[in-house]
Amino acid sequence: MIRYAARRLAFALFLVIAVSSASLLLSRLAPGDFVTETLGARASRQTVEEQRARFGLNRSFGAQYRDWLASAARLDFGYSMLYDRPVRDLIPERAANTAILALTALVCATLVGVPLGIVSGSRRGGALPGAIRAVSVVLLSMPPLLTSLFLVFAAARTGWLPIAGMRSATLPAGGAFLDLLRHLIVPAAAIALPLAAMLERLQSQAMGEVIAEPFVLASLARGVPRSRIVWHGALKAALRPVAAVYGLIIGSLLSGSFAVEVITAWPGLGSLMLQALRTRDVYLVAGCAGAGALFLAGGTLVSDLALAAIDPRASETRAEQA
Amino acid sequence: MSDPFNGLQAVQSAVRVDGKQINPNNVWFSKNFNTTTNQWNYYFNLFDANNTSGLAYTIVFGANPLPPVFGPLTDQILAAGQPFSLQVTATDPHTVVVTFPSPFAPGIRILNDLPILPRHKLEAALKAGTFRKAWGLDTPPALMAGLGPFLVSEYVPGQRVVFARNPSYFAKAPDGGALPYLDRLVVEIVPDQSAELLRLESGQLDMMTSEIAPDAYAPLKRAADQGRVTLLDLGVSRNADGLWFNLKPGALGGDPRAAWLQRDELRRAISMAVDRKLFADTVFFGAGVPVYGPETPGDKIWYWPGLPQTPHDTAAAKQLLASIGLTDRDGDGLLEDAQNRPVRFTLLTQKGRPNLERGAAVIRDELKKIGVVVDVVALDAGAVIDQLLHARYEAIYFNADKSDLDPGTNPDFWFSFGSAHVWNLEQASPATPWERQIDALMTRQIASPDEAERKSLYNDVQKIFSEYLPVVYFVAPRIYVAHSVRVTNLAPSEYRPQLLWRPDLVAVGR
Repeated sequence: MIRYAARRLAFALFLVIAVSSASLLLSRLAPGDFVTETLGARASRQTVEEQRARFGLNRSFGAQYRDWLASAARLDFGYSMLYDRPVRDLIPERAANTAILALTALVCATLVGVPLGIVSGSRRGGALPGAIRAVSVVLLSMPPLLTSLFLVFAAARTGWLPIAGMRSATLPAGGAFLDLLRHLIVPAAAIALPLAAMLERLQSQAMGEVIAEPFVLASLARGVPRSRIVWHGALKAALRPVAAVYGLIIGSLLSGSFAVEVITAWPGLGSLMLQALRTRDVYLVAGCAGAGALFLAGGTLVSDLALAAIDPRASETRAEQA
Repeated sequence: MSDPFNGLQAVQSAVRVDGKQINPNNVWFSKNFNTTTNQWNYYFNLFDANNTSGLAYTIVFGANPLPPVFGPLTDQILAAGQPFSLQVTATDPHTVVVTFPSPFAPGIRILNDLPILPRHKLEAALKAGTFRKAWGLDTPPALMAGLGPFLVSEYVPGQRVVFARNPSYFAKAPDGGALPYLDRLVVEIVPDQSAELLRLESGQLDMMTSEIAPDAYAPLKRAADQGRVTLLDLGVSRNADGLWFNLKPGALGGDPRAAWLQRDELRRAISMAVDRKLFADTVFFGAGVPVYGPETPGDKIWYWPGLPQTPHDTAAAKQLLASIGLTDRDGDGLLEDAQNRPVRFTLLTQKGRPNLERGAAVIRDELKKIGVVVDVVALDAGAVIDQLLHARYEAIYFNADKSDLDPGTNPDFWFSFGSAHVWNLEQASPATPWERQIDALMTRQIASPDEAERKSLYNDVQKIFSEYLPVVYFVAPRIYVAHSVRVTNLAPSEYRPQLLWRPDLVAVGR
């Protein structure tokens, strides 16, 4: 098991380095750079060269990459040209904002999607399971990008909710926490709705299969109440497929809520990376990509551990493979 | 001569070995940046017209009067020569002296770029040689000071800048009351203008920071008609996007198309072929006016209504192209050159700027009508500029906004050695007779103290420009801005940020 965990950690490290390096390489090799992007067409050649020298952009990619890698080994990921401060100072705050949004969405999606999946999967017919299924299919067919656009539009039209940002310019009467919650509703719902639909579908299918198992029939025959069977015995067995993808969902949520962040101006990693890409701030691009990869690797690890907790056979198989 | 004190001490006296005192006005300081050592080099310069026998000088430096302070003032080109650093000296606590080495008509206009900096906060950094890094984006706002109506009180990277009222602001309201009226000004950083518009319409934002895009006009007009926002028409923009070809001799290598791509007749034909009314309707949804030269009707001082206007005439355009050997030889409706190669070129423009992308599409479609094929390639701004700086392009449709109203402060665009002389950058000597003519006219225009003469000289420059069309302009857009109905007392300008031109006067209703 220790060897397995060590291998997973080594893979996570490799993923972060590979993704960061590829991002640095691609953003560096594309035509133009931070200096031409920000100085505009009227900057003199001399000014451009001065600024390139100031930011080290006049060096070869090999020299730049070598220095960056050596610094990264000391957890120094370079200096953001756009924000004039170290990348390692910018990433944690933005990563925390992304985590707040993603985890809120995940909790909401789980609290809504899993119970609804149990309800729709444990009943063969009826209006309620049908309605749940129909709504899920509609939501599943709408990616978070569209959902967020729709929600932002609705919030703007009604004026009920803030449509952008993470906190108000002036602190409202309810305090900072309430202000944060109000700002969370639109972006978190945009991510949570399709996610809840996905969890509902997964849980429903798993529950449907478990309900048809002989042990459920035997329990019913012994007079165990149906609700007890569904919410205790069957649920544990039916959680396995959901747990298997849960970690992946966490990882992809933390690294993939970028579109929603951009649309709702949520100050997370996504909007930071977009700014970095727009201005060709190569070290910041590499830092954001690395942080996204770290989330993904962490999520995969969590997924494996969760699966092992629910189904010990999974960890044994993995340990044997390791 | 190298300045031993790096600009930190004034010259007290400069005396020639035969006893002649050099006029203090003939001693000035300059600096240049050495890209190899990555450092500034400081010099002092001495002008002595009568020294023909190489006599030496004795220079005495001293800290009294106060040493000259070199602010980050943009180098200016005062005449047809090399850029010049100005000497800015604080001679006493209430006087700042800016010394011009030669007559410079725009004069104190350039001082709008000259920050007045607090000595108590920055002197140590100046002496330590770390002035350039003393105040940056990571400087805590409490360590900064300013003279404006607001002071930075918070900066959250990528999210917002908060400005708080400056209690020591010098200006007073007309009734003698204190300014500014607002206690706080929050500038939110939003991803794009669509997000900005939505927030404005939903009442979560009070004003926009720039002009609205043409396609946003209709929904904002509806919102304005319903009383939800206020829409202002600020008139015609002073800047228009332009098309130019790479006129650097030899830049197109052995490409045989260079024979016609760099011809004046091609640019004249393009100017004739593009229907400016159609351009305004398509690109700016009708909110634009035709432009035929470097100045637009939005500029009330330098625009010359007498400038010859190119008529929209496709037949004449075809005739012009035929005069340089570009005709339809195979009857397919497209032109070919003398070697029967298609008349086709690549037009670079900026990606993600709808006005530029739509404009490039109109140019492509209009030129197709006269048999010229245009391949439009949209790139990031940085990539377009990179191609421009390395002269690796055939044609560009882009915006090269003027940095100031006075043409005298845009020498980088006008002079052939200029860094923004976009069609052929930084020439060692004028590549064409008409550029030499413009250089000469602009040299006089910059130096002349007579405003009428300056206007007349600039009209001549515009006339030459419109004849040779190094940049072809089509339409200048109208500028619209929007703000919430609760904002009052605005003094808008056509320049960005249009609504915050006088932030000290802005007020909000309850």
